[in-house]
Amino acid sequence: MLTKELGIAVYKNNRVFPDKLSKSSHKHYLLYAEEMLHVYRNGTGKTRKDLHSAIQRIFQHESDCPPRRINAFCKLLDDASRYRKDIPGKAAKLRKTVFRKAAPFQPLVGSVDRLFEHGEMEIKNKIAAELGRSWEQLEQDLFADIMEYHRLEEFSGIDEAADLLAKYNVAQLQVVLYGAVKMIVWTATDFKTVLRYAKLAKLMHTIERRDDGVYQIQLDGPASTLRKTTRYGVYMAKFLPALISCSDWKMCARIRSGKKNWFTEFNLSHRDNYHSHLPPPADFDSSVEEGFLEKWGTESREGWTLIREGEILWQGQKVFFPDFVLTHEDGRRVLLEIVGFWTPQYLLEKARTLGLFKEYHILLLVDQSIAEKLPELPLKVITYKSAVRLKDVLAYLQENP
Amino acid sequence: MSEEYRPVISGDSPHLSITFQRGTLLLQTDYPEALESIAEHIPIHYDTRVSARRCDAIYYTELLEALRPAGYVITDDVPRWRPVTWHGIQLPPPWEVQQQAVDAWMAGKRGVIVMPTGTGKTNVALTIMKQTAVSTLVVAPVRDLMYQWHRRIQQELGYDAGIIGDNTYNFQPVCVITYDSACIHMEKLGHLFQLIIFDECHHLPGRMRREAGLMSAAPFRLGLTATPLRVDGKHKDLEFLIGPKVYHYRLPDAKGKTLADYQTVRVPVHLSAEEQEVYNACSQLVRQYMAEKNKDNAGTFTFKELMSEVGEDPQARVVQKAYYRMGSIQERADEKFRVLEDIFRLHYGERIIVFTGSNVMARDISSRFLIPCLLSHCGKHERRDILDGFREGDYSAVVANRVLDEGVDIPEAKVAVVLGGLASQRQAVQRLGRILRKSGHKEGVLYEVVCKDTGEEERSRSRRRTDAYQGTRHRRI
Repeated sequence: MLTKELGIAVYKNNRVFPDKLSKSSHKHYLLYAEEMLHVYRNGTGKTRKDLHSAIQRIFQHESDCPPRRINAFCKLLDDASRYRKDIPGKAAKLRKTVFRKAAPFQPLVGSVDRLFEHGEMEIKNKIAAELGRSWEQLEQDLFADIMEYHRLEEFSGIDEAADLLAKYNVAQLQVVLYGAVKMIVWTATDFKTVLRYAKLAKLMHTIERRDDGVYQIQLDGPASTLRKTTRYGVYMAKFLPALISCSDWKMCARIRSGKKNWFTEFNLSHRDNYHSHLPPPADFDSSVEEGFLEKWGTESREGWTLIREGEILWQGQKVFFPDFVLTHEDGRRVLLEIVGFWTPQYLLEKARTLGLFKEYHILLLVDQSIAEKLPELPLKVITYKSAVRLKDVLAYLQENP
Repeated sequence: MSEEYRPVISGDSPHLSITFQRGTLLLQTDYPEALESIAEHIPIHYDTRVSARRCDAIYYTELLEALRPAGYVITDDVPRWRPVTWHGIQLPPPWEVQQQAVDAWMAGKRGVIVMPTGTGKTNVALTIMKQTAVSTLVVAPVRDLMYQWHRRIQQELGYDAGIIGDNTYNFQPVCVITYDSACIHMEKLGHLFQLIIFDECHHLPGRMRREAGLMSAAPFRLGLTATPLRVDGKHKDLEFLIGPKVYHYRLPDAKGKTLADYQTVRVPVHLSAEEQEVYNACSQLVRQYMAEKNKDNAGTFTFKELMSEVGEDPQARVVQKAYYRMGSIQERADEKFRVLEDIFRLHYGERIIVFTGSNVMARDISSRFLIPCLLSHCGKHERRDILDGFREGDYSAVVANRVLDEGVDIPEAKVAVVLGGLASQRQAVQRLGRILRKSGHKEGVLYEVVCKDTGEEERSRSRRRTDAYQGTRHRRI
């Protein structure tokens, strides 16, 4: 992620326009990106300072490039790099040795006279000789621990020119979000990814289901009820790549801009064509789920239709996504949850969560091998071996109207 | 929603529980109606996300004071602090003014003490820590100061305090932390300390940094500063975030009594012919560009607009670079090195501290004279070696950029040299404070080395508007 100072965004008519390098507006940047990657790929052993100067030079004659954009590229490239740090304390130790050796001769004067007889170069050469090197060599190592003088060890993580530009574009969105006081996400299909990553990013949610089946999820933090605070903006920025990896979503964030207390809306959706370094959310948690859906198919069986991950159940900050929802023509609904993978903690947590949603009709499909280990639950359970059998589920549905 | 909460203790008294959650207090009660009227001066909000009431942790004490008389049976789950025992106290007895400051604060255990740099603010705080003997968090502006607090607590209270930040997270009932880390971590720390000390507390009211105050439940709060005033007027918020100003010891009272007498000497330097040539060329470039732009813009083109054009106009980028070059020439003018050498000769055998306007200049000086430079990258050990070496006289001089602006103890330095820096008055007072430590009857000297006919002169004039600089003399060395 970039630092706040590297952000470029225009705030106009109550809207935010973060810097974006698109194929249509900045086609030639692909070449620049290629050159930048070349500098870092071949930069092993060079200092950070030299690498950054090389990047600066690439843009020497480019009329459309603010310095902050160049610095942002440097930061993103550095983030994908590993620098060799000086052996901890080595330069500091050298400094201590040199300064202590020089102390009795202070002040080191440019030209000696009768009062001050220790000339600068004479003492420097003397100290260097004692340490077995020339002063020029020694001076180079004196501040080798400063960040600018670290040397590149390995560059990895950005393969293609387009990836660098994509990273840059997302990073600029993230900087805008540093100033966010809240974020609202709308999605009909990707709520699971949204809520999971929001939780990982330590955000709190408020969920509403609209009549059209779209979930509206507001994300912010504990103190957000008390005052408009941007302290959770960085969490929202961390969450953003997960959102971008989804396929169908819309987002609106409220951004504090400028010194005064005025706010701007920042809108974004999957149509804006950003690319995330995160892979798109996995379609299935397990092959058992996948197999079950395949077997059931899209048709209605005895009036029941199977929908995958069509719903969230929530109770305060606890959420539960049943793997499947079975809906009957007459309006009945049964929620299906497949429990195949487990650890003792996972089962305990699952049992606790399910306990919160007693008023729903939940059917558990549990792998035979772990059925005994599942804590006692006031829920219907069907066990399966390697794959869920349709007839077991259909028989259950018939017996439990 | 009130049905959701059944009183834990049955009977007539309404029940209320308070818990600390990520920098806020969660209030759950079976009788919320009374809560609203009692605590009407405390902003409490109903949080639908967790079906409970919530307020900032800073209201902890106020809330308890308001609720107790109202007859609530309170389950208070907030405090995780505890008494602390000091082993091996070696605190020098406070002198009169310090004792007055301690007494003034102890009367209410909340408030700000204003004392000039060098009059022993840290001593006052350590005395208060000794007397309260509770879990304490000390918040300092920079890492160097944080380490210094750690050292003082170790030396004078015999306690190895924890450090949070600077890539370490070592929690102890007594901890030191920087403001920036405090903002981030107070969510986890707010209920662990009964006493919170904000060193250089004029930093606290900033929009982000104030969260360090809001998210702490500490009932005892102490603020320390030499210069409480803020340009943005937010110093008024210190009363809310810490407490009232309980003690103010003014600089003019201190001069000559507890601090050394001092004089300020301004040394103008000229650029070398070569530097002047480059400087003039750069200056011409900037002026020409601005003039051209002004022709098109009816004389209203400003430097700020130039900065906003560097994105689209490569020429503007060249001009911007020229402008920065000018600053760099002024700052690193060769003659400054010569003047510094002369000051070193003049004050041979005395402790001298040199301030620069940039890290690069500080390193240049360090390399030229082979004197240690205190910069933010210095680790704990190097910093200690430099400070101890300087204290014990092994090093006659040190050079620093902004690290020493506030509160870092440089003992008994009598000569300070300012080679560049910001116009802000606070920085001036604090830098001056460094050399004002009383030792014998020796007078302190502050040299200010500025380039003639450049922007540095204007900054220097602005610096000297503060009363600490009264009686500045000009001198050619």
